[in-house]
Amino acid sequence: MTTSPAPSRGIDPRSPRFGAAITTVLLALDIVLTLNDGTRTIGIVLLAVIAALFAWGGLAGIARHPYGAVFRRLVRPRLGPPAELEAPEPPTFAQRVGLVVTGVALVLALLGVPYAAPVGAAIALVAAFLNAAFDVCIGCLMYVWLVRVGVFRGRSSVA
Amino acid sequence: MTVALSLAIVAGVLAVATVLGLLLRSRTGRARVVPSKVSDATTVADLADREAFGTAATLLQFSTPTCARCPATAKQLEAVAASKSTTTTTPHGPARVRRLEIDLAERPELARRFDVMQTPTVLLVDGTQTVRARFGGPPRQPELIAALDAVLTEEHS
Repeated sequence: MTTSPAPSRGIDPRSPRFGAAITTVLLALDIVLTLNDGTRTIGIVLLAVIAALFAWGGLAGIARHPYGAVFRRLVRPRLGPPAELEAPEPPTFAQRVGLVVTGVALVLALLGVPYAAPVGAAIALVAAFLNAAFDVCIGCLMYVWLVRVGVFRGRSSVA
Repeated sequence: MTVALSLAIVAGVLAVATVLGLLLRSRTGRARVVPSKVSDATTVADLADREAFGTAATLLQFSTPTCARCPATAKQLEAVAASKSTTTTTPHGPARVRRLEIDLAERPELARRFDVMQTPTVLLVDGTQTVRARFGGPPRQPELIAALDAVLTEEHS
């Protein structure tokens, strides 16, 4: 009760932000694609790809996310070592939140609900942009909101 | 819908997110002082054993397992508590300032009771286990020190 979970398997905190920047670009592109008739199908496919990437990070863990591999190979060597390592659980949980948002939007879009895809992409875009540009993890905050409304009772197991 | 209009929509969404981000950034870690001597003053005395609290002040941190900055904040509070406790005249007595951390995943009812919207949330508690200030997000060091000093000075007078 008196200690935080030690970041023993710590990750470079810049890695999830790098991934969020890529996700931001993909989601912005997806809004444009799904809003225009000629490219709607490509937009739905891209949304499915984005959801699949969220599933990868959320289920396999943020440390195994392909963007993390890109970061380690191409970005990390150009930067200095991180000032501090962070626990992988928060960004992993945030990936699951992203999976739920884009997954619901994808299902609704496939069911023919108008504007489901661009609206879902816009919600995810706000979260991804806040993460990339401001280092604010909305998905992590949502965990507290879920605790408040009583989703978790007693000891919960996240990640 | 035209491409220009959809690009404008994307720009609008990013503008809203930017405003939100600036707002969150300006508010995070700021001290919100709880007026003292109010009738409904919040007490935290029931949250832990008496010995877990500092005799003059306690820095109570609410954390969650999905909180990226909680470990760093815990370290910050530990350092502040230690630096304020070394001035005590009784080095082997109970610490004047202590740090206390509570995992909301273990005690979810506290999130609603203390209206916690984000983690870390830090409560500055005085010697009578009454909440005197709170910080949403990692406390800004100067504001934390100032709020803590205010409580400690009052303790002396």
